[in-house]
Amino acid sequence: MDKLREKVRKLLAEGKIAGYLGYIMQEGHPLPHLFTKERLAELDQAIVSPGAARYPLDKLLQSLAARYPEETFAIQVRGCDERGLNELYKWGQLEPDKVVLVGIACPQDQADYCECPGPWASVIDYGEKCQPVLKSKRVEQVAALAEAEAFQEWLAHFQRCVKCYGCRDVCPMCFCKECSLEHDALMSTGQVPPDTIFQLVRAIHMAGRCIDCGLCEEACPADIPLRVLYKKGNALVKELLGYDTGAPGGDISPWKISGEESTLGTKPM
Amino acid sequence: MTEKEFEPKILGFFCNWCTYAGADLAGVSRLQYPPNIRVIRVMCSGTVSPHHVLRAFQKGADGVLIGGCHIGDCHYLRGNFMTIKRMRFLQELLKFTGFAPERLHLEWISAAEGPKLAQTIRDFTEKIKKLGVSPLKKAQAA
Repeated sequence: MDKLREKVRKLLAEGKIAGYLGYIMQEGHPLPHLFTKERLAELDQAIVSPGAARYPLDKLLQSLAARYPEETFAIQVRGCDERGLNELYKWGQLEPDKVVLVGIACPQDQADYCECPGPWASVIDYGEKCQPVLKSKRVEQVAALAEAEAFQEWLAHFQRCVKCYGCRDVCPMCFCKECSLEHDALMSTGQVPPDTIFQLVRAIHMAGRCIDCGLCEEACPADIPLRVLYKKGNALVKELLGYDTGAPGGDISPWKISGEESTLGTKPM
Repeated sequence: MTEKEFEPKILGFFCNWCTYAGADLAGVSRLQYPPNIRVIRVMCSGTVSPHHVLRAFQKGADGVLIGGCHIGDCHYLRGNFMTIKRMRFLQELLKFTGFAPERLHLEWISAAEGPKLAQTIRDFTEKIKKLGVSPLKKAQAA
């Protein structure tokens, strides 16, 4: 922890960053917080988010960056947060040279819970690398179901939806100003549960974009296994289109119209 | 009373330059195909979003047929690459959620392929008839 605080203190003191987006312990609750030069003393309460305390810092950073486009900010990132940043750079939502990483490596129990294939950031200021989980058992379980069974299972999940939009609102990758889920030409309005396709529409948008932070599933009051759906979406994007979601570098999303040509063929009837 | 044979509702999205022209050719050639299909003409099959397909199923379509230009013949050069990427992905996602992925079919049909268009529609209608009412529609009725 000291190493992390020292790094941030130095960045702030040298004026390299306008603020550090991290976590603070207040009244026994870990909360997201923006640390600034003016209140350096607060840094003594800066913490690394404990496994269960998770907030969409990437999302907060987007609103900060929109409000202060000239400023550079540091941000505490887990592996997933960093994948999110990489994806947001590609979609033109953040400038990579205006972001400084304060990296965290997740403990093993967190990685197991998330079935995370990359539970650490590229810079590690806190924690030790653990074993990544390369295959999702949850996805495999659903994939093993027969068609009719799988349909019944998902249907039961989707029908519990209370249409709170929590999954979308918490999602660090949902940055659209207009949302298909609220478009009355694409989705029925004024009914709960929503259209059966509600979660599928979101799954389409998340494919090649979801960085598997799992906030949607934790926010869901109906316990819909959204993560399973999005994990599968990403696996398909990788398998069919060769795109590694959240990877650093210049590969642009296969869904951009100017994207690469495809060698896929049509399926026979 | 005897039960009526199941007549599926099939929605077609045909691209203006190839498949829709193919449908015209099938028409003037007086080729016959079942009337279960309702066709929407789109400027490019690449403009058909997975939303539209899902919306069609939600609204009670038993099958969705998408027709576009052959790869390399796209009027907009690379529009149909988007079609194939989107639809192959959607087919796999539908499979994962247990919604018969065969209910969504993509076929490249050129303006010269009137007979192929008629045959595709005949085959697809036959197939959807065998599959029966869409499970999404059944779930809504329940």
